[in-house]
Amino acid sequence: MFNDNNDIFILLRNSSIERKIMVGISKKLFEEWKELAQRELKGKDLENHYWITPEEIKVKPLYTKEDLKDLANQLENLPGLEPFMRGPRATMYTNKPWTIRQYAGFSTAEDSNEFYKKCLENGQTGLSVAFDLATHRGYDSDHPRVSGDVGKAGVAIDSVEDMKILFNQIPLDKMSVSMTMNGAVLPVLAGYIVAAEEQGVPQKLLSGTIQNDILKEFMVRNTYIYPPKESMRIVSDIISFTSKNMPLYNSISISGYHMQEAGSTLTQELAYTLADGIEYVRAALEAGLEIDEFAPRLSFFFCTGMNFFMEVAKLRAARFIWANLMKQFNPKDPRSLSLRTHCQTSGVSLTSQDPHNNIIRTAYEALAAVLGGTQSLHTNAFDEALALPSKLSSRIARNTQLILSEETGVKEVIDPLAGSYYVESLTNQVIEKTLSLIEEVEEMGGMTVAVSKGFTKIKIEESAAKRQARVDKNEEVIVGVNKYVNKNLNEEIDLLVVDNKKVISEQIQKLNKIKKERDNNAVNTSIEKLRNGAKNKGNLLELSIEAIRSRATVGEISKALEDVFSRHKAVSQSITGVYGSAFSEDTLFNEAQNKVKNFAKKEGRQPRILVAKLGQDGHDRGAKIIATAFADIGFDVDIGPLFATPEETSKQAIENDVHVVGISSQAAGHKTLVPELIKSLTENGGEKIIVVVGGIVPPGDIEDLKKAGVSAIFGPGTPITNSANQVIDILLKKNLLS
Amino acid sequence: MKNFFSLSNLEKEYGSIRDLSKKILSGDIRTLSRCITLSESSREDHQFFSRSVLEKVLPMTGKSLRIGISGPPGVGKSTFIETFGTFLVDKGKKIAVLAVDPSSSKSGGSILGDKTRMERLSQSDSAFIRPSPAGETLGGVSRHTREALLLCEASGYDTIIVETVGVGQSEATVSNMIDIFILLISPGGGDELQGIKRGIVELADLIIVNKADGLLRSEAENIAREYNSAVKLLRPKINKWNTRVVTCSALENKGIEEIWSITEEFFKKFDQESDLSAHRKEQFQKWLREEITQNLNKQIYSDKKINDLITIYEKKVLIGEVLPSAAAYEIVKNFLKK
Repeated sequence: MFNDNNDIFILLRNSSIERKIMVGISKKLFEEWKELAQRELKGKDLENHYWITPEEIKVKPLYTKEDLKDLANQLENLPGLEPFMRGPRATMYTNKPWTIRQYAGFSTAEDSNEFYKKCLENGQTGLSVAFDLATHRGYDSDHPRVSGDVGKAGVAIDSVEDMKILFNQIPLDKMSVSMTMNGAVLPVLAGYIVAAEEQGVPQKLLSGTIQNDILKEFMVRNTYIYPPKESMRIVSDIISFTSKNMPLYNSISISGYHMQEAGSTLTQELAYTLADGIEYVRAALEAGLEIDEFAPRLSFFFCTGMNFFMEVAKLRAARFIWANLMKQFNPKDPRSLSLRTHCQTSGVSLTSQDPHNNIIRTAYEALAAVLGGTQSLHTNAFDEALALPSKLSSRIARNTQLILSEETGVKEVIDPLAGSYYVESLTNQVIEKTLSLIEEVEEMGGMTVAVSKGFTKIKIEESAAKRQARVDKNEEVIVGVNKYVNKNLNEEIDLLVVDNKKVISEQIQKLNKIKKERDNNAVNTSIEKLRNGAKNKGNLLELSIEAIRSRATVGEISKALEDVFSRHKAVSQSITGVYGSAFSEDTLFNEAQNKVKNFAKKEGRQPRILVAKLGQDGHDRGAKIIATAFADIGFDVDIGPLFATPEETSKQAIENDVHVVGISSQAAGHKTLVPELIKSLTENGGEKIIVVVGGIVPPGDIEDLKKAGVSAIFGPGTPITNSANQVIDILLKKNLLS
Repeated sequence: MKNFFSLSNLEKEYGSIRDLSKKILSGDIRTLSRCITLSESSREDHQFFSRSVLEKVLPMTGKSLRIGISGPPGVGKSTFIETFGTFLVDKGKKIAVLAVDPSSSKSGGSILGDKTRMERLSQSDSAFIRPSPAGETLGGVSRHTREALLLCEASGYDTIIVETVGVGQSEATVSNMIDIFILLISPGGGDELQGIKRGIVELADLIIVNKADGLLRSEAENIAREYNSAVKLLRPKINKWNTRVVTCSALENKGIEEIWSITEEFFKKFDQESDLSAHRKEQFQKWLREEITQNLNKQIYSDKKINDLITIYEKKVLIGEVLPSAAAYEIVKNFLKK
């Protein structure tokens, strides 16, 4: 015994000998471990113990030095140096912690401003503005198509006067402001610039980020206005303007966030985002810019979900791949190679069941983002699966980051997971998978082509349907949803309630006031100049700034551009079979299928459901999953166009003679729009058509919706097999009664 | 016709046949859509009921232009109909679009996403769009669509577009219920001529090369030329009408006027030769024969005794004791004896 120990000490002191012998020992030891493990598994095969992730990465139960054998390229990196895998800065958080940037917007500019000021007092270090859907889609608050959306999912901005209120007493020369805006990006960015100007802050001092990532809108989020080609021109006009006039400003935030939220795998998120990035680089080069003029101001935005180590690996891989991809453009400035990113914890991982669990989920996700080396972070509020965040939940979300930053010590070491057998090996696998996905897109001719063909959208929808099937089959555990369900839970949570009618009337008052006081001739002139610039080659941001100065509204500017560019219409594709093929003997799935057969026999046709979205809410992941799953169960599924009014949806339901209308709501418009739908159905002879609602429905709305005539409401995380069974039960019951 | 079913329950649920036919004639959308549902139903009482309504309004049918539109998946049919239909609505027409969707999964369900691509048209009060699942049988499509077409005519729609997806047997069926058959094709790929069955090209009165925009424009024009020389070899389907080939961009709203003027020219020619009604009468004759075949088929296969007999003969055929043709002769003879 003693001798053995002594030998080891000698070995440890002599590192060159150590290396030689350790490898030998390790192989022998590994066999020993394997045998032992095999025994503990009681005959089960060790191979079956591997975890195959949705990315199709095989995760082994144990990683060793062997796994790092071929990764010299990856292991010999340092932070701040090319390829920046270990971080874009040499000192990272040891010098300056990540920016705590909470995304928020409350109905009106006044409320939001008050909230921002309070957050800044309480330790938040950057602003991030959430706009309402009407603003996103370029409509003023008085437009008839947006009555359900104004002030719901964020702040309503109609003119520079609203913008000035929004940033009242916030020094825009010091505060970095991030704005999530892609559709109406021109009037909103122009509004921010002019608001600053009237505060006395010149353009060159403005720092912050505009999302301005239109390609992913066509893939997942759908808050676009113009067709892809014209939208890409707007992107490059903005890049070109800001690179000349706003050196501290990030002209684009290339976002994967919404892809993961829509159900993509982590490698899809990474690959399609980086491929988007390359496409923007090409667009800017084509517009005549030099690579080093704008590449250092490109920034990224990723989602951080519950797959902890994979998320860390994803951020490391992102920086590694971006640096290597950017080399093809021969930049001279090393900053052109470095990927800087914002992260937000995953919204789709939040559950409406047992919502306090979301605090814990968000904390783990935040830790992963920080270990991955993010530059700024948003942590979600725990009630976001139920409603927009309340004051309390926003405070907890912010404090999650403050505690992580101030109490845990994670800031003190750069890239602390580097060298871990598992994390390094995983990083390498993520790099490999991602590269092959990027190659696939590049072979098609790049992201603009892939997006207009709907290729990436379908790929993401496939992944989403597969994930839903895994959850519905309990293969993927979500605590409180499909395991450890707390049936007696009856907690009251104070949720934010938005009185949208009040917001509309306030906004209309402000709009009327500005239209009365401004010089309408000046507005007409500047709008006409903008229209001409759109037809020819004027810089659209520059012209929008002029229009905003003359007090043209967000809606007027968007409309002028729409006259020239037209409004884009989505091409909706759908898949069948993906969800259903995951089930073979699942009882609930079969039960639903049998009920459908039964119904079809009695009724003479399959049950028919119209899956629709109302208002300007473009998040169609839920609707798409429901459509494909219900079709696989045996429903005839009609898909309604995005951005429909209640009357249009009612017309379609009646023409198609459906049994059910299923409304998918992610952005709080349902409270106004669903009762209007039911009214329209009744007025047009469709009173027998039942209406169900799924998505984010605050508990307080449930009673109102039921009173309005909604037959069933399904919260986030409801297994589709459950909702399908319920819908068919309601139909069968009605069928027996009539 | 003898009434085999008790229709009183159905009349209670849907209204009397008299009422329903009146409402159809007055253009009530809800009634139109429900009657189409009934004619699509697999329940015989539903079918009978809807036929009764249809027979009542039959004299008021026949006044529309019946346009068939077909083409392989992804060619942009829906986008074309959106643009073309909106153009016609702006001209003051009332349009009905009947879209047959084949995307049926194993479970019998299907996804009908057509209207998402006809956003503007579907919002118009002068347009009625009805996507229908193809269901299990091809014959079904034919009957449903014919009846739906007639119901729409009775409801006052003056232009009916029947859209079929894919390239196959259903096109032949559809060409038997419409006046002008438009085939949509698109550039990209290269081997278009092989991709579309010759038989379908022969059915077409007008071939449109869609997506003649952006990078694909010159390719679209090349394909149009190729088709133009190919269709010269075809025999005119009706007197003096040679299949025409044009390019268009439904996306950029280009070429639509020309397509409409060709369609008008086509109908004018029909009128001059005064053979539109003869053409339609011929279609009704074909319909009758089709229905007879299908009815017989259905009755033979739903007869239990005959099914047992088929099983017995099948075995004999398999061991080579009887020829299939001889077996079929015996089986049918047996069925007729019953």
